[in-house]
Amino acid sequence: MRGNCYLLLATLLLPCAAFGEDIRIGVLSHRGYIATFADWTPTADYLSATLDDYQFAVVPLAFDQVNEAVASGAVDFILVNPGIYVNLEVRYRVTRIATMNNRRADNAPYNFFGGVIFARQDRSDLQRLEDLRGQRFMAVDETSLGGFQMAWRELKAKGINPYEDFSALIFGGIHDDVVYAVSNKDVDVGTVRTDILERMAVDGIVNLDDFRIINPQNHAEFPFVHSTRLYPEWPFSKVRHTSNALAQRVAIALLQMPANHPAAVLGHHAGWTIPLDYEPVHVLFRELNLPPYQFPAKFTFWDAIKRYWYGPVIAASVLMFLGVATLWETRLNRRLKTAKRLLELQHRLILNSVADGIYGVDQSGNSTFINRAMEKITGWKAEEVIGRNQHEILHHTRADGSRHPADECPVYATFRDNTPRFVEDDLFWKKNGTSLPVEYTCTPIHAEDGAVLGSVVVFRDITERKKAEDKALKHQLQLAHVARLSTMGEMASGIAHELNQPLTAITTNARACVRMLDSRQTAVENCLDVMEKVAGQAERAGEIIQHILHFIRKEQPDRLPVRISDVVNEMLLLMRADIRQANIQVSLKLDPDADWVLAQEIQIEQVILNLVRNAVEAMADMAQGVGRLDIRSGLKTPGIVEVCVTDTGPGLSEDLIKRLFTPFVTTKPQGLGLGLSISRGIIDAHGGKLTVDSEPNKGATFRFTLPLYIGEEER
Amino acid sequence: MNAAPTVFVVDDDQEVRDALTLLMTSIGLAVEAFGSAQEFQDQFDPARPGCLLLDIRMKGMSGLDLQDRLVVEEVHPPVIIITGHGDVPMAVRAVKAGAVDFIEKPFKEQVLLDSVFRAIESDADNRGRVLQIADISARLQRLTPREGEVLDMVVAGKRNKVIAGELGISQSTVEAHRAKVMDKMEAGSLSDLMRMMLFRRS
Repeated sequence: MRGNCYLLLATLLLPCAAFGEDIRIGVLSHRGYIATFADWTPTADYLSATLDDYQFAVVPLAFDQVNEAVASGAVDFILVNPGIYVNLEVRYRVTRIATMNNRRADNAPYNFFGGVIFARQDRSDLQRLEDLRGQRFMAVDETSLGGFQMAWRELKAKGINPYEDFSALIFGGIHDDVVYAVSNKDVDVGTVRTDILERMAVDGIVNLDDFRIINPQNHAEFPFVHSTRLYPEWPFSKVRHTSNALAQRVAIALLQMPANHPAAVLGHHAGWTIPLDYEPVHVLFRELNLPPYQFPAKFTFWDAIKRYWYGPVIAASVLMFLGVATLWETRLNRRLKTAKRLLELQHRLILNSVADGIYGVDQSGNSTFINRAMEKITGWKAEEVIGRNQHEILHHTRADGSRHPADECPVYATFRDNTPRFVEDDLFWKKNGTSLPVEYTCTPIHAEDGAVLGSVVVFRDITERKKAEDKALKHQLQLAHVARLSTMGEMASGIAHELNQPLTAITTNARACVRMLDSRQTAVENCLDVMEKVAGQAERAGEIIQHILHFIRKEQPDRLPVRISDVVNEMLLLMRADIRQANIQVSLKLDPDADWVLAQEIQIEQVILNLVRNAVEAMADMAQGVGRLDIRSGLKTPGIVEVCVTDTGPGLSEDLIKRLFTPFVTTKPQGLGLGLSISRGIIDAHGGKLTVDSEPNKGATFRFTLPLYIGEEER
Repeated sequence: MNAAPTVFVVDDDQEVRDALTLLMTSIGLAVEAFGSAQEFQDQFDPARPGCLLLDIRMKGMSGLDLQDRLVVEEVHPPVIIITGHGDVPMAVRAVKAGAVDFIEKPFKEQVLLDSVFRAIESDADNRGRVLQIADISARLQRLTPREGEVLDMVVAGKRNKVIAGELGISQSTVEAHRAKVMDKMEAGSLSDLMRMMLFRRS
């Protein structure tokens, strides 16, 4: 804004003496724009006078206005310090056409200058550059060559970073203010370009003796106090758009300006000389990493923003996003915490509203929690159970009244072997000393690293289930009984024949005996033999009747040791007539080591009879002489007896096998179709399996398993 | 032919077999018992008179199978089927195939014995007829072809005159042949001869 004011001022002033083309000379206003205007207008007038076809005007420019003025072409020539010049040279291709001769009181021209670092004379503690660490330091401007950068170079050479090693680094803006600040003790140290102090002393503003020059340098041909290396004086430069012809004429005019020309005197210089080499300035800037030799690190923040605006924008966006994300996460955390609380509440609600009893057990076997259903079912209160050994409370005694050792407790076993288990029938003890039948699942609980922490038990009162099971069992027993009666009905013909044989023998023998005795021709001994036979035959008939009665009686529900071989032989007896009729060869391979099973005898009889009957009937319609019935028993696996009934009948179709064990599926005109379904039910109830495999036209094998009765060895 | 009739018992049940044997023996009948149909068939002699007590249900060859094999023989002992309960359809089949009787177990011994006597008698009759026919056939063998022609025509009821005409011989020659036939056939009269030929044809 200020620059624009100057430009406006300049244009307002120009018309007064305006003849010909306007040429503007931008001048760095390092001592304030009024001084600049006053100092340099005479030079502009001199040029206007010398080059009468041009009208020259001064445009004072603050440090921060120079670049814009040159870049926009607002000025045609530019008079700036060498530091700014080298920047403009690189960035805007300005070209120096003359170097200013500085003027001293003796009017001798000096076209070099430097920086002076100074403190008040009374600061005897500040002698060397190294002493300046930690002091308050004032310079003119960050971009001022003599007023900061020259001093910086010297400080840097001593390892001092003005931006970090001073307690304060202040930029006064103009040289005089720096001098005042040091003089007024506003700061400890200041730096200005050479000749400022001397001029102010000449003007009587300061006394040179009041100041101590730090790191003073001596130069034979340079009379001013200075602390730094020397650099060429201000160059007068043409801006890129300015024609070379004009520049040449201006250069000649400047070089011809006498050292004591009023314009030179008023401009505090001693005329102009040929343009000097500004390489030392370039070196300084390189060393300090300053523009135009700035590395990215030394960019000012705003430069960086100007050049890489998108970076900060992205960074800001990212930051904003991160900020929002953080905010969101914070909220989420809060929500999660709330949710966790809710979840815990919900867990408790769920645990307490489940009808099954649930409790947790830690690794030492103590209860960790119990739910409300458990309290209700067992009568134990949570505070009575939690922390106490669950086995001692719930599980101490078995159904038969014997002690239940803790090391056999499935709940412990679960976290010992880390395997979930389901216990179908067990007993828990209530607080009132009674017990209840339960089924439960026991599942290990894991920490996040997989270690077992304990187990959780979910149990259910199965009193009702057991009742239903008992009912179902009773029902099954009834059904089995009906099926046996039906079987007997179906077998009546065969059984009758089987009874007829002994009866025929008995009556025939008896009659023969009567005749023999009647005829009195036979020895009594003969008749005795015959009567002996008759008695045996009657017993045989009685035996068959016994089997039948045994078979159709209602069973006793106890499981007792049963011999498979006995059952097989008895059932074969009932089937003898049919077997003979169908002309079937029977072969038995009954392993004596797999003979005893613990079972309800009558039910096993029923199964074997069913299987034998099926086999016999399957082979009854076959051509004579090929039917073979194999009954084998053996140990399938240790402790498991397997009985196989194999026939050589027509076999079973796959479709029939699928439906075979379904009730009321039958291939017999008189059959109820209950035999196999009841047989399977019986074997299942005994903890075994009844299966069939068949090859069409080759026969079928039914096999069932039963647990071996181990106590047999002791009998 | 003068052999005494024998009761053959075929039953695979030892007890029943023994009891039947005892019963037959107690009334003075000769008896032979066999455990299976095959056993009986192996020693079968058609010339031995008697009857066969056959159980239907047996291992191996059944009673019916054995019966089927016997009926193709020219002479065989009559078959009495002994059945168990519920074997009626089989018994019917057996009777159709030529069994003389069937008896359900357990039976009254008198019923069985009556049946056995009837069978033995019928067997004897049967065997007598068979022998007679064989005798007649043997006599017929003695005739010359011309005498055979004359016999056939006589049996057909033709007079001597017609026979002489048909054969192109004289009546006296026909008469001579007739006398020879009567003599060789050992027939006392014409009606005797006629009966003989009809019996054979039956």
